[in-house]
Amino acid sequence: MNASLDQRWLASTSHSPGALQIRELSKHYLLDGQPMEVLKGIDLRVKPGEFVSIVGASGCGKSSLLRLIAGLESDYSGDMQLDGKAITTTSLERGIVFQDHRLFPWKTVAQNIAIALKRSPLTRQEKALRVAEHIRLVNLQGFENAYPHQLSGGMAQRAAIARALITQPKLLLLDEPFGALDALTRISMQRELQRIWVQHRSTMIMVTHDVEEALYLGDRVIVMDARPGRIKYEIDVDLPHPRERHAPRLQELKEILLTELAGSDADK
Amino acid sequence: MISTASAVIGSRVSVGHRMLALTWLISPLLLLATWALVAASGHYSAQLLIPPADVWHTFKDLLHSGELLEGAAFSLRRLASGFVLGASGGLLFGAALALSKTVEVYCAPMFHVLRQVPSIALIPMFILVFGVEETFKVLLVTKAVFFPVALATSEGIKAIPRSHFEVARLYRLPRYSLLLDVVFPAAAPPILTGLRVGLTRAWMVLVAAELLAADSGLGQMIEMGRQMMRIDVVMVGVITIGLIGFVLDSSLRLLERRLFRWKAIKE
Repeated sequence: MNASLDQRWLASTSHSPGALQIRELSKHYLLDGQPMEVLKGIDLRVKPGEFVSIVGASGCGKSSLLRLIAGLESDYSGDMQLDGKAITTTSLERGIVFQDHRLFPWKTVAQNIAIALKRSPLTRQEKALRVAEHIRLVNLQGFENAYPHQLSGGMAQRAAIARALITQPKLLLLDEPFGALDALTRISMQRELQRIWVQHRSTMIMVTHDVEEALYLGDRVIVMDARPGRIKYEIDVDLPHPRERHAPRLQELKEILLTELAGSDADK
Repeated sequence: MISTASAVIGSRVSVGHRMLALTWLISPLLLLATWALVAASGHYSAQLLIPPADVWHTFKDLLHSGELLEGAAFSLRRLASGFVLGASGGLLFGAALALSKTVEVYCAPMFHVLRQVPSIALIPMFILVFGVEETFKVLLVTKAVFFPVALATSEGIKAIPRSHFEVARLYRLPRYSLLLDVVFPAAAPPILTGLRVGLTRAWMVLVAAELLAADSGLGQMIEMGRQMMRIDVVMVGVITIGLIGFVLDSSLRLLERRLFRWKAIKE
């Protein structure tokens, strides 16, 4: 592959990372006419290019937090800004990957990824080129024309990640992206995600149940507590990327995190 | 040894397959045999219960004279115009009903009352208003297609999972793309079922309308046959109508299978 092609590839798959600032964020739902607090007083700053993992018991509002940042939920109190711009609705600057791949079953892998470029001013050829690049980025070459039902869970999730990255978002949100995958696929997907993140250094926030996953990938791990959902604890993972999964420091931090999480369980 | 054994098994399988492919013939052949036997028994007058062979002759006569094809052509032309009108109207109205709160509030109750009215019950009124010419028949077909298609479209769209709409919002799909890339493909399977139901119903009500008031078409051919006590012509008409209906439905089913190859094939 020649140099100019390489450069173009880097240019079009690189992301300018964004800074997220959340102040006093609260959100409640109405349940049988009674207000139920899902999130209360969330303060969070994420630096450009940082990888933040969020762990917590189910019901702690961590998925709601991601949906709010994505702009899928309105009606909150507090303040959320990406690079100084208030978050009011969905935007191509913020991508999200869900636990279910959410590909359209009637579209092929390439078409599913291309749909994210519907609003893009690129020409048809440029779009096709960029789709091909992102298919390469997630190692799905040869499956461009496959339908989602023909893919394994891991492959479908790769396609979903490619779709989320192709718009070059400043911030990528990951809502338990590997939660539905088997253990082996999960480990290889974590390694892949780490590679993609190291390559592009876009800002990422990942919600997960898996403490090891949170530590392996995150620069910082945030522990959330339930009812109402709030930030309970924060830990810096002071290890450079890419990391060794069995690093002793990760084991230490895991013990600390598990104690914290067990504590929040005992409260209930 | 092994190769002979597998050859034997292979041939048995293929014979079995061929047998299976022909089993559908059993019931029509039985019906035909019963018909021939009862007709031959002389229990009924040969003018009322025509033997199959005579009906076959009449069929060939009508085919050669061009009468049968002409009748079918008239009927199918009416069906086609009404189907196109009713299907496109149903598609648009059904989508509006599912996607717009305003349309739902204003039109849903009336729609659900009107769709309960059998198309046949509208024949007298339609004749009074539109006369006995083509307009009334085409509109009757339109009505018969419109309601099942509109219902299937609106229910199909309402059943689309919210997650699909969220993906559309995340990538900020423009309205046309929301409809063409998400809404219609997602609702296509129920819509196609609605089209099939509509086509079948339209074909039935069209024949009924032609029996009552028409100067051409298969229904009219049957009615003429009845008036002239040509039961053989009546039976040729009846069988042709059944066959045409079957072919129409099968072609839509074939289309269904071609269009929805993206669906997981469950075995």
